Amino acid sequence: MSNGIRVAALEDIPEGEGIVIDKSVTGTADDIALLRDTDGSVWALDDTCTHEDASLAEGWVEDGYVECPLHASRFCLKSGEVQNLPATRSTCPHRVEVRDGEVYLFPNETP
Amino acid sequence: MDADISRVVVVGGGIAGVSTVAALRAGGFDGDLTLVDTGEFPYDRPPLSKEYLAGRRDLKQIALRTPQWYDQQDVRLVNLTAVTALRPAEGAVELAGGRLLPADRVVLATGGGAARPPIPGSDGERVHVLREAEDADRLRTVLVPGARLLVVGAGLIGAEVASTAVDLGCEVVLADPVNPPLAAAVGIDLAAWLHGQHAARGIAVVPAGVESFEPTAAGIAARFSSGHEPRVFDAAVLGVGMVPQTALAVAAGLETERGIVVDTCQVTSNPAVLAVGDSARTRRDGLLLPRTEHWEAAQQDAARAAATLLGRPAPPATAPWFWTDRHGRHVEAVGRMAEADQVVIRGSFDDPAFSVFGLRAGLVVAAAAVDDPTAVRAARRMIDRRVRIDPARLEDPSVNLRALLR
Ligand SMILES: Cc1cc2nc3c(=O)[nH]c(=O)nc-3n(C[C@H](O)[C@H](O)[C@H](O)COP(=O)(O)OP(=O)(O)OC[C@H]3O[C@@H](n4cnc5c(N)ncnc54)[C@H](O)[C@@H]3O)c2cc1C
Ligand code: FES
Repeated sequence: MSNGIRVAALEDIPEGEGIVIDKSVTGTADDIALLRDTDGSVWALDDTCTHEDASLAEGWVEDGYVECPLHASRFCLKSGEVQNLPATRSTCPHRVEVRDGEVYLFPNETP
Repeated sequence: MDADISRVVVVGGGIAGVSTVAALRAGGFDGDLTLVDTGEFPYDRPPLSKEYLAGRRDLKQIALRTPQWYDQQDVRLVNLTAVTALRPAEGAVELAGGRLLPADRVVLATGGGAARPPIPGSDGERVHVLREAEDADRLRTVLVPGARLLVVGAGLIGAEVASTAVDLGCEVVLADPVNPPLAAAVGIDLAAWLHGQHAARGIAVVPAGVESFEPTAAGIAARFSSGHEPRVFDAAVLGVGMVPQTALAVAAGLETERGIVVDTCQVTSNPAVLAVGDSARTRRDGLLLPRTEHWEAAQQDAARAAATLLGRPAPPATAPWFWTDRHGRHVEAVGRMAEADQVVIRGSFDDPAFSVFGLRAGLVVAAAAVDDPTAVRAARRMIDRRVRIDPARLEDPSVNLRALLR
């Protein structure tokens, strides 16, 4: 078990928004979106929408879901499951831990 | 749920029809569910003027659902087949070839066809329309570098086709007598800005309609209204609106009025038949509303129709929303800009991203944005939740819009 990658300070991610962590840092196929829910919790999903070329980190985060900035498909923050069209495929979730105000990412581990 | 509803047939596999079957299953409908469509499989239409027309996506990539989805949802997809008649009295619909499909309730999701105004010569093979994938396939073959293309109508689809054609290297002329188009949807200032983008990309904008087409040796000549010089093109596209597909409804004696007339539960004048999407037109409080003709509105109709069939209250209506992509810009609009009595601009038209908010009596009633979807997401919540917002803060790009909602 690794301790994860320290990717951000919690205060860098405003509630209801997201930031992108580059794949050169995460070692994943896609960049990863760190998304902060309206209850303050932090989640991570593959950043590129499964529909077309949009960054989910630029989406609207609220009540457990992120809404894609282009055509508004919503994805579950926890499971990555797609909720509505036009996207038809779910996206990949990654585990996140917050310790002492720092956000640690565990790429490809299930939350 | 109504115990006597065990077989539902949905006619038409666009976003409205597919969303209806999805919403029925999601709501727990466990009866027989059939979706009939004339195409090979249901696909999404917005890409037809964008990514699909540009050749960046193929038909499979714009499918609304995977082939497995229909099995998983236990939806019988009857493809490559037209419904030719409704037989509500017999509890059935008739398919091409004469087969009857039993149905306790029918949902019409037949969409519409591209409008073809009676312009002399517009039935020639060089004059295109765009509604189906086949239309896009045909049009794409003529969008080669250097091709001279006339786009008639600079509304949503016309503007997108013009943009895609320029991307592909065509020489584009865009004709529309209305200047600027879309003012009712996004407000006059943004409409003018959007229309101005065409010229900036090298499109010749002609503020006129087309009076006639005439074949020439090498192409097609278009004659414009108001004295503009006639010009010769390799091809023309008509982007002048859609005509709702009401034939089945008319033949079955349902009330239609440039659309299949439905109540706020999506029920037509025959209680066994519902209608959703571009083909439907709602009457509310005795008043026929304009058709919405947008992708998300079709989904909301579907959610309401499913609730009606399941005997549940309809989900709350939200402010109407649409997007359009052109010249590399993502444009969204929500609400009803025409109702605004005050307009607030956030950011600068000279430097996108920016957004425009419409207020009425201090409440946000509409917004439109270029490359700023967050503004529209926020506006949508402001409208739906009727939150009172200080215009001075709306206007200030340093104020976080999410914070204004809290
Ligand atoms: C080129 C283009 C670009 C667009 N871009 C945007 C956009 O960017 N944003 C936006 O918000 N909206 C956009 N729209 C609008 C949006 O696509 C429509 O509002 C939406 O498609 C309406 O869905 P619908 O299911 O009601 O109708 P349709 O999509 O028209 O589907 C109706 C289906 O019913 C089938 N059918 C009809 N009659 C029968 C019959 N008798 N038997 C069997 N099947 C039948 C048809 O073949 C068709 O497949 C665009 C539309 C077009 C054409
Ligand atoms: S790109 Fe995300 S929904 Fe279209």
